[in-house]
Amino acid sequence: MPPSPKRTGLVFFPAFDWAISPTHPEREERLLYTRDQVLEEGLLDLDNIVEYRVRPATFEDIQRVHFCVPDEASVTTESHLISAGGCLVAADAVMNREVDNAFALVRPPGHHAMRVVHGNRGFCNINIEAVMVEHIRRTYGVKKVAIVDTDCHHGDGTQEIYWHDPDTLFISLHQDGRTIFPGTGFPNEMGGPNAVGATANIPLPPQTGEEGFAVVLEELVMPLLERFQPELVINSAGQDNHYSDPITDMNFSARGYAALNARLQPDICVLEGGYAVESALPYVNVGIIMAMAGLDFRNVREPNYDREYRPQSPDVTQNVDRLVSRLRQVFLKGKYEAPSHSPGEVLERKREVFYDTDGIFERQRELIRVCRDCAGALGVESAASTGNHVFAVRIPPNACPACRRTAESWFEQAAEGTFTQVFLQDRDRDTFERA
Amino acid sequence: MPSSDALPLILGLDVGGTQTDAVLVSCDGVVASAVKVPTRADLPATLRKAVDQTLSGTGPDRISRMAFSTTMATNAIVQDRLDPAGMIVSAGPGMDPQGFAVGPSYHVVEGCLDHRGYEARPLSKEAVLAAAAGIRDQGIQALGLVSKFSVRNPAHELCMAEWVKEIFPHPALGHQVSGHLNFPRRIATTYLNAALRETHERFVRALLGILEERDLRAPRYLLKPDGGTVGLEESLGFPARTAQSGPAASIMGALALDPCPGTTLVLDVGGTTTDIGLIYRGAPLLEPYGIHLGPYKTLIRSLQTRSVGIGGDSEVRAEPGRPLRIGPLRQGPPAALGGPAPPPTDAMIVLGHLDAGDKETARRALEPVAAALDLDVLKAASAVLDRMAELIADSVGAFLHYINARPVYTVREVLEGVTIEPGHLVLLGGPAVQLAAPLESAFGLPCSVPPHAEVANAIGAAVSRVTCEITLHADTVRGTVVVPEAGIDQFIDGEFDLDQGMIMARQSLEKAVSGAGGAEDDLEITVTEQQSFNMIQGFSRTGRNIRLNLCVTPGLIPGWPRRS
Ligand SMILES: [Zn+2]
Ligand SMILES: [Zn+2]
Repeated sequence: MPPSPKRTGLVFFPAFDWAISPTHPEREERLLYTRDQVLEEGLLDLDNIVEYRVRPATFEDIQRVHFCVPDEASVTTESHLISAGGCLVAADAVMNREVDNAFALVRPPGHHAMRVVHGNRGFCNINIEAVMVEHIRRTYGVKKVAIVDTDCHHGDGTQEIYWHDPDTLFISLHQDGRTIFPGTGFPNEMGGPNAVGATANIPLPPQTGEEGFAVVLEELVMPLLERFQPELVINSAGQDNHYSDPITDMNFSARGYAALNARLQPDICVLEGGYAVESALPYVNVGIIMAMAGLDFRNVREPNYDREYRPQSPDVTQNVDRLVSRLRQVFLKGKYEAPSHSPGEVLERKREVFYDTDGIFERQRELIRVCRDCAGALGVESAASTGNHVFAVRIPPNACPACRRTAESWFEQAAEGTFTQVFLQDRDRDTFERA
Repeated sequence: MPSSDALPLILGLDVGGTQTDAVLVSCDGVVASAVKVPTRADLPATLRKAVDQTLSGTGPDRISRMAFSTTMATNAIVQDRLDPAGMIVSAGPGMDPQGFAVGPSYHVVEGCLDHRGYEARPLSKEAVLAAAAGIRDQGIQALGLVSKFSVRNPAHELCMAEWVKEIFPHPALGHQVSGHLNFPRRIATTYLNAALRETHERFVRALLGILEERDLRAPRYLLKPDGGTVGLEESLGFPARTAQSGPAASIMGALALDPCPGTTLVLDVGGTTTDIGLIYRGAPLLEPYGIHLGPYKTLIRSLQTRSVGIGGDSEVRAEPGRPLRIGPLRQGPPAALGGPAPPPTDAMIVLGHLDAGDKETARRALEPVAAALDLDVLKAASAVLDRMAELIADSVGAFLHYINARPVYTVREVLEGVTIEPGHLVLLGGPAVQLAAPLESAFGLPCSVPPHAEVANAIGAAVSRVTCEITLHADTVRGTVVVPEAGIDQFIDGEFDLDQGMIMARQSLEKAVSGAGGAEDDLEITVTEQQSFNMIQGFSRTGRNIRLNLCVTPGLIPGWPRRS
């Protein structure tokens, strides 16, 4: 069946003048060869591909998602704001129906950035997808959003931000956490008490190839989306599942990524990781752009594909098939034990977070009010090795009166305590306060 | 104005759609003569007549320079009178190369280079030879050879050229047309150069004949769409570079005749179109990719211009209760001159701004417009000019929005956020003076109409310097530096750095300028790209990837006085 052309918006921001450090993988050159390939293919000359100029995101955009400690200016650079802003431009182009879909080809990435930000984690400071999703909700009144994270690493930041949100379906496909950073993303991580089932983790065995991804997409991802009925589908399009990626152990290809996007039909794609800057990114990005624009991508492949790509081995196929049938039972047939909590109860969870890039260690105590009427009042106490010890309170969109009261009382109590800072993010009224 | 009789003179000529303008200017800025002759289908005849009329007795030894902006290449392209040219391309994976097919005999052969210039798949000699034989057997004598990423490594194109040289001794090669990336545009541009070669050569011979008959032996140039010139003989290798130079002629004319302070908007109002261009800090704004020629998107550098289908002779349509519509069609000459319907020119005549033809006829012709607008004829005539100014202002607004929405790729550029916002308007062309007031109020900007505005285009052609552009790409891991426009493709060691790159780039540009017929003292170099990326493997630096783009920006010849 010949694909039908779509209008695709492209927001390209390679940040040719910004790096984490001179030899860090997240550096100036990362999208250089992608830019070369996109230009040489002539993709920008196609009538149905529209290139947009980035704009920086504002601190207000960031505050809809994050609690930045001590403040936004200290944990972001212009580059982070522009990367997040690139996603906002892509979102606006889609939501205003200037284009059918859009791809934010921006850096630095964001899916390891969590709600409370003390520094850089897994190359990420600001969760650019979450900033975009909350902008979309605020500006266009969209409620149900699905984020499909196809980066090789578990999107632990995005998962944490949406852990308690029943209106955001977060699906992450990634290399099994027992074999790679950040070591999380197991199927039993299914969301908080108010959002059980809105998080779905699919840890894939190392060396999963084109076939494996296709099966997972068809048998798990598509049915989950079908059941959730999102108004918007977002692909966190990390590209480090590629067979040539230097820091992962997967076996995916440019054509595979293109086929995945052609099937998933995301409204917005956002670049995440992927550090095979010469051998993978140019081809994967061209493949994704062509798939989104409805072009025939059968001729897209790496120049060394015929020599170097090995089809998925039979034992990987067997492992993937087993995983898929087990997870179908859990995710689609509801075969899991849901803990039962009564409404009004406040649950507590403790966790530790390590910021690998900045070497910061953080201890968290999280409070969530169990609620059937809204996403629940949320409180996070966070102490970091930097000496900052903060308490952050979140009132969710469409908060019920009981959760609002609970959250406000937490905020007032904390403000009288000894914290270095106390925050109140009121998503219902779209305000942000510090005390 | 006293013109010093001893000073040498420059002949400038611009062939337009309906008329051809020619001037003689002395190099101190004085216009010695200016003529307009109708453009005829026979281009050499038009040129002969314009040259003779403008010289009118001036001795050939007084002429020190001659420059021509012609429509030869443009007409051949838009009227589909290109010579048949075959194409052989090698692509490899990516967009389907069949989608870029041009010309009567297009062949895709096996072979692939990657974005670094490494060979991913060798060329198939058998396929290249078979394609060349097939093209020859169709009776085609022109050939273009293009490979993807040939600007990173020209080896495949050079190899193809070597294999086919018995059959096609002078193929057009893709990497030579431009150092910029864009495979489909490289194919189209190479094709146009191949398919224009003979026609262009005939034209150059004809023009040389005309000049030599008159003993005109001064250096001679053709204008390009980037507002620069190229030597007449030197243009033979890249004929497509001389297409669509008309708008550039006007913009260079504005630069020659007006101080053009800050950001200046240039409007050249013609019979049926208005050309829009911009001058920013003393230099015309360039289009970032390349010009569109008929159906072809090319890699040919050009000024950032836009044409709107509104001019002095555009059709005016009036309906009660609706805004006036003007253009893009032309019914004929103004009613005052015997035309069937009143274009804006008749409004100028009725208002007494222009003394041409029969005013009473113009008045009568405007009566239906006045009736539809429920105004008297004088007010209706003003309304036509105001509406014309408003429509032009709308198009300029869209043009500026397009320019300012252009993507940028560095943090610095996002933060600097330069926006192009004109503060001054220069009006050129026949009806310029008459439109100054309505345009001034439509734009809310001061507007100047420089002296000789009606032949500014010919003056612009006369005094534009030679321009060139070169692109340098060095990759110390692959161990090569390539400057495709200058034919440089050589080995380098790991020490090669940005400074060495810059020296090589400057030398290449100087060589390219002299190869285009320019002189050393013409050089005013602009560095438009200067980047050196560290190439990293596993957290350590393995080499450098250096990218330089240098050009001689469009500007005026040395000695031409800037207006102040
Ligand atoms: Zn990753
Ligand atoms: Zn509630």
